[in-house]
Amino acid sequence: MEIDSTQDATNGRMPTVEAGQPVDDDEDLDHIFDDMDEDETSAPAHNPWRPVHAPLDVHNVNLSDYGGDNSLKLKLFYRHFFPMKQYIDWLNYDTVSDSKLSASDIKLSKTFMNREFCFTLMDDTYIRFQSYKTVDEFRQELTRLNPAKIDLGAIYNIRPRDKASVHASAFKPMSKELVFDVDMTDYDDIRTCCSGGDVCMKCWEFMTVAMKIVDSALKDDFGFKNLLWVYSGRRGVHCWVGDERARQLNNEQRKAIVAYLDVTKGGERQGKTVKLPNNLHPSVRRSYEIIDEHFKNIVFNSQDILRDPTHWEKILTLIPDETVQQTARVEWEADPDREPSDKWEDLRGFVRKAIATPSKRNLLEHVLRDIMFQYTYPRLDEKVSTNINHLLKSPFCVHPKTGRVCVPIEIENCEKFDPTEAPTTETLINELNQYDTDHPGSNLQDWEKTSLASYVKVFEAFVKGNVKSIRSTKQAKAEPTLEF
Amino acid sequence: MFRQENRKTRQMLASGHIGYDEKNPYTTTLNFYKVPPTLNITIVEFEQFALDRMQILTKLMNGQLRNLPPAKLEASMNEAISKHMPMSGNSSSGHGVTREQVLERQKDYISHFIVRLAYCRSEELRNWFLRAECALFKYRFERLSQKEQLEFLETQHLSWKKVSDDDKRILRENLRSTALSSFKSGNAEDETYFEVDFEKVPLLVGRRQVYVQGGKAYVPLAHQVSLVLDEFKERLSRDLEAMGRALPRMEEDKRLMPILNHLDKQYLGREFTSSAIAGEIQAQDVDGLKVHMPLCMENLHNELRQDKHTRHGGRMQYGLFLKGMGLSLEQALIFWQTAFGKLTPDQFNKEYAYNVRHLYGMEGKRTDYTPYSCKSIIMGNTPGPQDHHGCPFRHFNETNLRAQLTSHMVDEFDTEDIMRMVKGRHYQVACTRYYEVTRARMLGIGTETLKGGGLSSNGGSEVASQELIEHPNQFFEQSFKLMRDFSEKKNGANGDPSEVQAVPEPTIKGRYTYRMAGPGTSSTSNNMDMDME
Ligand code: SF4
Ligand SMILES: [Zn+2]
Repeated sequence: MEIDSTQDATNGRMPTVEAGQPVDDDEDLDHIFDDMDEDETSAPAHNPWRPVHAPLDVHNVNLSDYGGDNSLKLKLFYRHFFPMKQYIDWLNYDTVSDSKLSASDIKLSKTFMNREFCFTLMDDTYIRFQSYKTVDEFRQELTRLNPAKIDLGAIYNIRPRDKASVHASAFKPMSKELVFDVDMTDYDDIRTCCSGGDVCMKCWEFMTVAMKIVDSALKDDFGFKNLLWVYSGRRGVHCWVGDERARQLNNEQRKAIVAYLDVTKGGERQGKTVKLPNNLHPSVRRSYEIIDEHFKNIVFNSQDILRDPTHWEKILTLIPDETVQQTARVEWEADPDREPSDKWEDLRGFVRKAIATPSKRNLLEHVLRDIMFQYTYPRLDEKVSTNINHLLKSPFCVHPKTGRVCVPIEIENCEKFDPTEAPTTETLINELNQYDTDHPGSNLQDWEKTSLASYVKVFEAFVKGNVKSIRSTKQAKAEPTLEF
Repeated sequence: MFRQENRKTRQMLASGHIGYDEKNPYTTTLNFYKVPPTLNITIVEFEQFALDRMQILTKLMNGQLRNLPPAKLEASMNEAISKHMPMSGNSSSGHGVTREQVLERQKDYISHFIVRLAYCRSEELRNWFLRAECALFKYRFERLSQKEQLEFLETQHLSWKKVSDDDKRILRENLRSTALSSFKSGNAEDETYFEVDFEKVPLLVGRRQVYVQGGKAYVPLAHQVSLVLDEFKERLSRDLEAMGRALPRMEEDKRLMPILNHLDKQYLGREFTSSAIAGEIQAQDVDGLKVHMPLCMENLHNELRQDKHTRHGGRMQYGLFLKGMGLSLEQALIFWQTAFGKLTPDQFNKEYAYNVRHLYGMEGKRTDYTPYSCKSIIMGNTPGPQDHHGCPFRHFNETNLRAQLTSHMVDEFDTEDIMRMVKGRHYQVACTRYYEVTRARMLGIGTETLKGGGLSSNGGSEVASQELIEHPNQFFEQSFKLMRDFSEKKNGANGDPSEVQAVPEPTIKGRYTYRMAGPGTSSTSNNMDMDME
């Protein structure tokens, strides 16, 4: 089978690659992938090697004939829509290549060549530690493997493909973007509109809050400038921080940032999990302002959390005071149809009354504020961020289940982003055909003719920002010597 | 270092005792250990120094591991220090450093390097050494007067950018609320602040104890120790690695190597190496063995049975524990597949079998993972919502923990006792107590005999855990052995073993390794005056 030849040629032992079994040389592989973990039973895979007889011309394809043939759609996606040039520029981290240059002519930097790529094929095989020396090599591999998913790993001290040529301890991750992963499944205990892999605009607001909070903390507090937010293709968002300084962080420093951002820790049994100090740290206070903007809408409109007894009980158990709980219960059971926002005001009143008793003050004074955090504060997947060699799905993949492209989200307009409207290969093909009919002879790139263009623009801005930040760090480093 | 010393030094080694090093003024009890010693030392001293230092390091690490209350830790450290490595601080009268002090400090300096040499040889050893030395440095630093601290910093040319009064005014509100949020007084004006890159103080950042803005962290003087420690750690870790790389050249030295090899076995810490007291256990035995499990594992087991699933953290923690109990890979696959009853065998094979094999070192890096110790469960990866791993004493809230205790028939008195320990953050002590009272209950011994650690009379001593629970598998084995011995004894006396929980017949196949510190023996005593040539 062709897969074998993708195996590391320098690697003496030939790893057995079976469906669903990663080729892993790192510990805890299951930590290494971002969204492979829980309960993702996949549909029977298509064989990507099945010969495709139809011509692969995007204009002649009638996708409905191919129904579920994801592999064909993917091939079309990589061929016509994947923004290769911007992608290479990004991972090169040195210059933005001239706009006239074709992607194949771009010279790869060491940063690119030492980057780990991991491909997940249609049959769920993963191939880790791939790396490339030229753009063409990378492009050919993409076409040949037609991966259902591309993950990006760390940049190592040597080319990942050569890892078998050195002792395991001499193969070291040197740098990587600081990354974050927020996944809706972590909100399942408070989400009422959807569950599992589904999302809608209602629950998406959780993601909006998460993006706003994390984005402002990373920028204001940690001073990072180049952040790329990406729709994960299904039910979450990823963030890539491209600043040089972020890429150089060690695991301990990454951990520190995650801990700094995290306020919702605690196991399920811990009950009321958020307990913040009376006086908020400036960063948490800023988050609180963001939460305040969204809390009412999320909780009273979209998630309806105070509407019926099963849900309001969840909130009541978070209040460590029998009297308040009981008062609310009695009141609301007598008038269950009371508007949720009124019920929240009721709660405020009950708590206010309770803290008139000095002994209760400490416990209750900020309890509602903490509940607001509990319900809306971002829940980060810690492992993705804290481990430098953790893999994260690359932007501009096509999610195998939803068919949606993992497109960048412009943070300034993140409130408007609607995951259910993210482009799919089908919509892109239709847009392309439409455009070509309307503008015969146009020499734009295929992606430029579609709605993907606006997303690529966001991406381009990120790439440019990175290059600029590298230049200015270099300058800053060089400056002191200029005085001589 | 020792080996690479020049000829002159080696010749001087023959003189048999340490020389007085004028170049190094040893102005304070602290040392950054920047330059390796160029002193003469006999091989006997070489070993003695190292062992003495190990006593101190292990005492400190253990005290912290056991969560000793500060006063107790202080007492035990003082004892160890005066016995093994006395260190007197500078006299306040400002007299110079006495010859005696120089020798003390020199011993500290040299012994550091010897142990460093022994511990630079693997990642694991380096990590331990780094942690231990940082702890010791911190311990000493915090016990200096502020004047001495500043003096030390000056000699090391350590300075951080002070925040000017103008900037302080601008930042005032934020500095104030940061201080208030970590329960300090909010008096930011009188406090001196340093401005450093946030990367320098990860711990303070992670705990939100500093104000962070634009990539800078504003560190109050009170947290200065973090900065110093960070500096210390960074240098030491760099030097350790460099030394580790240079080490192959050392390996030639036939006399030093045995000592070094012996030294690096010294660090305390319990590791679970092989399976298991209960012998080969079968997948279907696991439920029956639940009685011997500590709360953390019992909880995971129950959740697994109830949800027919457990998340990654739980699979690692419980899976490795079972492995430690003696569940073979084959049986583990059966166990987990049956446990994940919602999945078809196919789904299981596809998504989780790899995971199980991985735990047994049959996949991936093929490391033979060892079961997690209490310490790593308690300090490790905090369970998120929906996770069930972790240590109940650490990660449950009070209500849930109380409920757990009640359901295990822990009476009110003992519950309060345990809760007190938990509140003092002595989770493993609490677990040890839990072990004792529940085992006593199982054997029908009154827990009164155990109260307050009074373990002497009628049966109490059998149940009392000889040692702190440091490992869930230790809990299991202790309990298992206890019941087995008890049932054997009963068997002998009354011929009725049925009163005690039925457990599979044990065969001892593995054991713990306790890596104990101690004045072990090594091969050098017959070479008393050997020099290092
Ligand atoms: S102290 Fe150790 S054995 Fe006891 S419950 Fe906690 S982790 Fe488990
Ligand atoms: Zn929804």
